[in-house]
Amino acid sequence: MKELEPAMQWVCDAAVIRDPTGLHARPAVKLTKLAKTFEAAVEIRADGRNDWTNAKSPNKVMKLKAAHGEPLHIRAAGCDAEAAVAALVALLHRDFVD
Amino acid sequence: MMGELPIRRLIEACAATVAAHVEELTALDQAIGDGDHGLNMQRGLKAVAEAAEEIAALPFGKALHKAGMTLVMKVGGASGPLYGSLFMAMGKAGDEAPAAPARLAEVFAAGVEAVKARGKSDAGAKTMLDVLVPVQAALAEGGDIAAVRAAADGGLAATGPLRATKGRAAFLGERSIGHLDPGARSSALLVHAVCDVLEEE
Amino acid sequence: MTDTVSIVIVSHSADVAKGAADMVRQMVGDEVRVAFCGGNGEGGLGTDVAAILAAIESVYTPKGVAVLVDLGGAETNSEMAIEMLADGRGDNVRICNAPIVEGAVMAATEAAGGAALPVVCATAEDFQA
Repeated sequence: MKELEPAMQWVCDAAVIRDPTGLHARPAVKLTKLAKTFEAAVEIRADGRNDWTNAKSPNKVMKLKAAHGEPLHIRAAGCDAEAAVAALVALLHRDFVD
Repeated sequence: MMGELPIRRLIEACAATVAAHVEELTALDQAIGDGDHGLNMQRGLKAVAEAAEEIAALPFGKALHKAGMTLVMKVGGASGPLYGSLFMAMGKAGDEAPAAPARLAEVFAAGVEAVKARGKSDAGAKTMLDVLVPVQAALAEGGDIAAVRAAADGGLAATGPLRATKGRAAFLGERSIGHLDPGARSSALLVHAVCDVLEEE
Repeated sequence: MTDTVSIVIVSHSADVAKGAADMVRQMVGDEVRVAFCGGNGEGGLGTDVAAILAAIESVYTPKGVAVLVDLGGAETNSEMAIEMLADGRGDNVRICNAPIVEGAVMAATEAAGGAALPVVCATAEDFQA
C-alpha cells in the first residue's frame, strides 16, 4: 500500500469492464494514456485482488488480469484526484470509445 | 610487391568475382541464413563498379572510404555495414596508398578492428572475420601473396565445423555446423581478387 | 502541447513496418510522430540505410527518437544511419532492445505521456507478454 502524507486522501471508485475480452491491449493503452494526463497518483486494482497497480505504467497495466463483467477499482491521490478518477470511470463506462 | 595500387582494376576484379559466384553465395546463405548474401553483395559491388571512375580519381584513403560508404548504402542486409565499415576504416587510416607491406598490414588491421566493433564479434564465431583475421595476421607477419591466399582459404575452411553464434545463422545453432559461412566465402573471394590484381603488377 | 519522443520502426518487411505503425497509431493516437521503413528498396526483404536515415530525419526532434528494429541487419543498418545524422543528432536517437511491434506500442504509449527518451526505451524494453 502506498504511504500517503496526512493531507492526502485516496479518491476511490470502480467501474465494470464491459469489453468481452476484459482489459486487453488497446484499452490498457488508452487507460494508461488517460491516467498520465493527471498529476495525481493513479492506481487500479482488479476485483478480488489486494495489490494496486500504477495506472500510468503501460507495462504494469498491460499485465493486469481484469475480466469482463468485473469492477475495476480506481483510486487517485493529489490535486486533480477527483478529476482523474472521474475520467477513468467515464472511460470504462463508455467502453473505451474515444 | 607494392607499386601504384590500381584502384579501378581492384574494383573491377572484386565486382567480377562476386558476380561470378552469386549462385554459390546464395546457396551458402540459403543453407544457414536468409539467402540474400549473393544478391546483396552483387548489388553493392555493382554500385561501387559504377562509381569506379569517380572513386579512382580520389586519393587512396578517400577512395576506400567512398567505396565503403557505397557498400553501406547499397548492399543492404547485415553485411552492408560490415563490409562498409571495413573499407571506411581502412580509408580513414590515411590518404596515401600503403607503400610497404607493413603499412598495408596496419591499414588492413584498422579495417578488421572496425568490422569486429560493428559486428560485435571476433574470429571463431563463423563470420567473415574468420577469413579477415588470419589474413590480417599473415600481413602482419610479412607474408607474401601466397601466404595471404593460404590464410584466406584456411580461414574459410575453418568456418565449416563452427557453430554460428552471430547473424541469422545463429538461429540454426547446431544445424549451422558443416556449412561454410557465406560472409567468409565472399571475404575469401575478395581477398583472392585483390591478390590476383597485385600479382599482375 | 509539449514535445514528445518520436518513434521510428525499421523492419526487413515493408508490410510489417507499415502494419506496426498502423497499430501504434490506432492504439496510441496521432500525438506521437511515427515513421516507418522496411524492405531493401527493390521490393524485397531487407533494410536500406538511406531509407532509415530519411525516416529518422522525418520525425527528428531534440526530445529524442526511439527506434524499434526486428532482426540483426535492421539493427546494424540503423546504427549506421544514426552515425550519419548531422550535428550530433545521433545523441538523441536510441535503438530499443525490444520486440518490434510490442516495443513500438509501449514506447509510443510512454512517449504520449511526455516521457524522456531513456524512459520511453526502458518501457519498451521492459515489456514482457
